[in-house]
Amino acid sequence: MEPRRFIFRRLIQIFVIFFVILTVLFLLFRLAPGDPISRMIDPDMTTEDAERLREQLGLDEPLWVQYVYYVRNFFTGEFGTSFHYGQPVVKIIWDRLPNTVLLFTSSIILSAFVGVFLGKIASWHKGGKIDSVLTIGALVTHTVFLPWLALILIWVFAYKLAWFPITGMVSEEVWLDPEAGIVAKALDVFHHMALPLCTLFLIHFGAYLLIMRSSMLETLKEDYILTARAKGLEERVIRNRHAAPNAALPVVTSIGLSLAFSINGGALTETVFTWPGIGRELVFSVSHNDYPLAQASFLLIAIVVLLSNLVVDVLYAYLDPRIRY
Amino acid sequence: MALLEVDNLSIGYQTRNGTFQAVDGVSFSLESGRSLGFVGESGCGKTTLGLALMGLLPPNGRIRQGSIRFEGEELVGLPEDRMRTIRWRKIAMVFQAAMNALNPVHRVADQVAEAIFTHEPALSREEVNTRVEGLFQLVGVPKDRMRDYPHQYSGGMKQRAVIAMALACRPRLIIADEPTTALDVIVQDQILEETKNLQQQFGISIIFISHDISIVADVCHDIGIMYAGQIVEYGAREEVFETPVHPYTRALLASYPTLNGTISRLKPIPGETPNLISPPPGCRFCDRCPGAGKTCVTARPSWVEISPRHKALCHSCS
Amino acid sequence: MERDGHKNKTRSPQLERFLEGWSIFVQNPLGKIGLTLLVCFGLMAACSFIPPLLDPMYDPMTGVDPLITRSVGPSSAHWLGTDFMGRDILSQLLAGARVAFMVGVSAAVMSILLGCAIGMFAGYMGRVVDTLLMRTADMIMVMPTLLVVLILSSLFGQLNIWTIVLIIALFRWPGVSRVIRAQTLSLKQRPFIEAAKVAGASHMRIIFMHIMPNVLPLAFLYMTFRVTSAIIIEAALAFLGFGDPGTVSWGMMLQWVWKTGHMFRAPYWLLPPGLCISLITLSFYMLGRAMDEVLDPRLRKEAEAE
Repeated sequence: MEPRRFIFRRLIQIFVIFFVILTVLFLLFRLAPGDPISRMIDPDMTTEDAERLREQLGLDEPLWVQYVYYVRNFFTGEFGTSFHYGQPVVKIIWDRLPNTVLLFTSSIILSAFVGVFLGKIASWHKGGKIDSVLTIGALVTHTVFLPWLALILIWVFAYKLAWFPITGMVSEEVWLDPEAGIVAKALDVFHHMALPLCTLFLIHFGAYLLIMRSSMLETLKEDYILTARAKGLEERVIRNRHAAPNAALPVVTSIGLSLAFSINGGALTETVFTWPGIGRELVFSVSHNDYPLAQASFLLIAIVVLLSNLVVDVLYAYLDPRIRY
Repeated sequence: MALLEVDNLSIGYQTRNGTFQAVDGVSFSLESGRSLGFVGESGCGKTTLGLALMGLLPPNGRIRQGSIRFEGEELVGLPEDRMRTIRWRKIAMVFQAAMNALNPVHRVADQVAEAIFTHEPALSREEVNTRVEGLFQLVGVPKDRMRDYPHQYSGGMKQRAVIAMALACRPRLIIADEPTTALDVIVQDQILEETKNLQQQFGISIIFISHDISIVADVCHDIGIMYAGQIVEYGAREEVFETPVHPYTRALLASYPTLNGTISRLKPIPGETPNLISPPPGCRFCDRCPGAGKTCVTARPSWVEISPRHKALCHSCS
Repeated sequence: MERDGHKNKTRSPQLERFLEGWSIFVQNPLGKIGLTLLVCFGLMAACSFIPPLLDPMYDPMTGVDPLITRSVGPSSAHWLGTDFMGRDILSQLLAGARVAFMVGVSAAVMSILLGCAIGMFAGYMGRVVDTLLMRTADMIMVMPTLLVVLILSSLFGQLNIWTIVLIIALFRWPGVSRVIRAQTLSLKQRPFIEAAKVAGASHMRIIFMHIMPNVLPLAFLYMTFRVTSAIIIEAALAFLGFGDPGTVSWGMMLQWVWKTGHMFRAPYWLLPPGLCISLITLSFYMLGRAMDEVLDPRLRKEAEAE
């Protein structure tokens, strides 16, 4: 299929799925036990403000009109005001989005590359010592309980050794210092990001390693590998150029399949490290009954997952010519 | 001196239940510019033989004894990096294209070019490209399809590309393992015709491996009939076809429709091939042989020369 | 398998197959380690009833050592120390094992039965039903379960442990249902289904009497991976403070360490619950991989994505 048509079709699918999520969320928020209005309107608001909001949300109208208002508000970016911050929700989530994207994408990319690389090495030494160490290491880090791992990393590297800051994303003394250049600021962010990134990396790379390893072992049995050997290529070239690109395809698929799982992990990591991202905002807003913020964060996370799925699909199509053409 | 001389070659596969004797005491020789065909049912050791000539036996396969001399050089026990320079440069292989012999993620032309780059690193990109174009022209794949991926090719085109790849480094010997299986008859004919032309044009020697005796008859100067890891009849094509002596060869010929279209009934060969982990002491075909006697069961048969260019491994053909 | 040649007549073929699988399984190092660990956790769960019987202060939830009002390290009365209220950590740890098994196994069984039912139904009915169910499955598959449960708990207030189990099961069926659907599609073509139809069996009868016995074993191959994900989700939920307040789970224990600021001061309290969650997950995961290798290596890829 032509790439552009393929992406277009996937975009339509994503749009439909998202609309269903949007609708289900609407119904949940209106039909859950308790007073739906109290979930929409901040109890601390002035009466006039509350009145204006009622009108904007159409809360006095029948349900389907409310739904129309709701969809309209979504597409015009009207998510209401956060109960806790007293700011427009849309501003808060736009603030948080880049932080989440930074941590999430860098952790996925890092763990995928390292996982593929180590999985390749493990498959070379199949049955040997290196293979056992890597496989067992992957199994253990993949199944370790994420928040606990995060706490241990904080305890050891941030508290005992004090190599890294305990929480947050930036230190005020750097960011409020007018002298500090962009490099100093970026380094400061990386310094804060090291431990959360390490946590997510450790959790994820094991799965990719295991998949790459078994996929590599399967691929090495393929006929085109025999052709490559017959061609007189060196073993290293055969593995890197002929086996690895084919073997990595299932890894890409599994990145797509495990995105939802990765997002869960991202939210937990953000929460433990107080990384100012959307996942942490969702957890925070849910524990503080900040409904508008919770709803918007959830929708945004759904969008992130769906779009990441699209990115993975496109990447797969790029890597596998059988899909591309 | 012959291009290739194989002497008393035995190959075994290590399995859980013992050593599987895939090839047992095979000897033959091949002159430059001639073609030799090996025919036999699946599991008779013909593919193993081909792989052994390339030094590409799977990890559990081992040459137990015998020698393979190519251009006077002993290939058995040759170090891997020396063997690598012989592969494709001197001995190339045509695989069955239907078996995924082309890597799906690389362009066909690149896969052909890769062989040239590997063995002739001194060539410039342009020189390699020109040669690849020439090869595609030679095997009849349109130039504008060169940059395609394997899945965009039809079965016949894939097979042509695989042949182009085998010719890439102008080898002395090509081993063709079931090169036309899974192609339809018309394409099969074209490919065989082209193979013959190319062989004559470049004076390349060919070892042709097939389960289909009619294909081998079409292409090869000499024929070896293989059964249960052994060559049981060997000789010039005309003699083997016109006066087959080994009962297995006769059965094999009777189980295929004849080329000239005379009416003959297809006869399946009854029975099964012997267990090659513990082969029987006598003739390996004796269980299925209609004329087997007592000696056939107990004693190993020896070669019987029927003519200077025709011999058979049988007790009763003398 | 050709080795089945001389079969003991008194054994049924199923038993024979099971025994053969079992012998491969116990030779597998992953299977062995996983099984051993699980037996240990099983013993922990079984022992969880003992401490409260010895002394009410060992009750994991309500028992408080009258002499202790803060978290102290291991002692002869409290082998693993106490938490911030003076409750015994070992008793909590044992009770946590029971909860983990309960949550993991019941959520897994429910999601598998659900996935099985939906997969068979979709595969058998085909057409619109199939499309609708499978699109729904796709949609649920991309939802991060933990965050969904979070949103639900914000709407419905504190969830009790069984509601959590139910929600996890409701969001964990799609993987199973896809496999079962594929299996059902191929079974549908078999002659014995045709024969049943001709004989006038109803759809329900065909699904439950003829298809289900053939797909259920396959579904239970997925069991261990479901158990793993259910335990993790429950633990994470409890860790974030949305667990069942009436149940002591390992996630809850970690939440207490974390929220009361003891993580830098009380390693005796921080280490055990996390170690237990990680190890029980690991053992189920190992068991699953070992079972895969025994039964069908081709199924490995999809299940690993969890």
